[in-house]
Amino acid sequence: MNALVIEKKFLPFEKLKKRVTVFSVFAIIVVAISIQLDFNPVLFFTEGHHLVNLLGEMLPPNIEVLWKRSNVFTSILETLAMAFLGTVLGGFMALAVAFLAANNTSPSSLVRSFCRLLMSLERVIPKLVMILVFVIALGLGPFAGMVTLCISTIGMFGKLFADAIEEVDVEPVEALYAIGANKLQAIKFSIIPQVVPSFIANLFYSFDVNLRAAIGLGIFGGGGIGFEIHMAMKMLRYSDALALILFTIVLITFFEKISDVLRAKILKSETLS
Amino acid sequence: MRFELTAYKKSFRKLFIATVFLFFFIASARLCRVDLGVFQQGIFEGLSFLSEMFPPDVAAFSEMIYPAFETILIALLATVFGALFSFGFALAGAANLSSPWLKTISRFAMAAERALPEIIIILLLVAALGLGPFPGVVALAVGCLGMLGRLYADAIEEVSPKTIEAVASVGATKMQIIQYVILPEVLPSIISNTLFRLEINIRLSVLLGAVGAGGIGYEIFYSFQLLEYERASTAIMVVLALVFLSERLSDYLRKKIATGGKLS
Repeated sequence: MNALVIEKKFLPFEKLKKRVTVFSVFAIIVVAISIQLDFNPVLFFTEGHHLVNLLGEMLPPNIEVLWKRSNVFTSILETLAMAFLGTVLGGFMALAVAFLAANNTSPSSLVRSFCRLLMSLERVIPKLVMILVFVIALGLGPFAGMVTLCISTIGMFGKLFADAIEEVDVEPVEALYAIGANKLQAIKFSIIPQVVPSFIANLFYSFDVNLRAAIGLGIFGGGGIGFEIHMAMKMLRYSDALALILFTIVLITFFEKISDVLRAKILKSETLS
Repeated sequence: MRFELTAYKKSFRKLFIATVFLFFFIASARLCRVDLGVFQQGIFEGLSFLSEMFPPDVAAFSEMIYPAFETILIALLATVFGALFSFGFALAGAANLSSPWLKTISRFAMAAERALPEIIIILLLVAALGLGPFPGVVALAVGCLGMLGRLYADAIEEVSPKTIEAVASVGATKMQIIQYVILPEVLPSIISNTLFRLEINIRLSVLLGAVGAGGIGYEIFYSFQLLEYERASTAIMVVLALVFLSERLSDYLRKKIATGGKLS
């Protein structure tokens, strides 16, 4: 006889009990953290008028600031230049490091593990620390911001590129070796053509990431539009700040769209957006 | 003949791209005031500065534990609230659940938020609400919207329409459809995306700390301002450990979920 036996844990009541337990443990943790941090969600509603007041002071945005003050225009260009240069220089250095860090192109396993270690160490260093150090070493301004972006690009994309290089089709590489190519020739004629499309596509993505980061770095002395926003807020020129913030949103969206289109074109696949 | 022409055109195009690229490159270098002399000098200054940061001030370590803890808590709380808040927007922004105009509004809000760096959100909140963890949590929670809202909404849109139709045809209300079809189906992807966001939020929480959310980011920034570099390097070590561990943990949990491990 085959009696229908339902395991205890599948009974509706037990299921409910489990859910209630998970939910209440979760709720208790959230409440405990909130108390610890003095975070009172109700505050958001009772103190909301401060936000409304601020918004009232910001409106209407003083759009004129974008062309009336010449240094605003320069700082926008500075931000773009920082992101562009950080991406290009960082991207090429990332590519160089990636070839040393990929197991099929690396000269030795020692170099390979060293590069991998360097990249993962670099990835955990917050940009805040880097910019603070570079501002001291190179002085305030976009140069320090650019170097920070450059280094963070190496950490982030070096690993991505190294993984891409390790995943190339081995057959064309072996074919080249079979006809007597040396390692450099194999890299040049077989591996590079295979990774270039994904490399360029990633560079466009990296530009997006760096543009956002460049704005944040400006606040800590990297110059550019982030610095202008910070200054406008500090000097209580709120309507100028709002105009700059709105412009930043437009700028980032614009470049995101462009980079999406170009990336999709390069990868010859459907749009990524 | 035609072949030669294409080859000529191709090399012309390459030349054109290279020229434009070079122009931007040089213009950017001028704008960024790139100066190899400054860079060379900067290396020495940077190295001598780094030597000032050593050895890390071990005595300050105990003072760093609470701020580090605070940074983690800010990130955790912000992720929880941000995830809930993003899920609401995702329901409104999924084409298979909401009306077209609601979807457009919600998607627009997500896209606008995505283009707004978190650091600017916190500058606004600090101006309105003052310093402290409260604006930090709110800024990070709002910061989740652009990324999580879109990922959740995309996951909801991928739920098979047949399942939804089957449940709707037996008379389920919209709430019931969400509860019995959408939620179970998207939960794994929601959890894994949220864990990824938690990792990002921990990094951001360090950064936001420096502009007024408190925590370990504030300790780093403040120590730099007071020129207490040895203390700063202790704080930096703590941050490195924190970021590294959170990355490992989130990687591990996400892999577990992706391979169908039992979680949830």
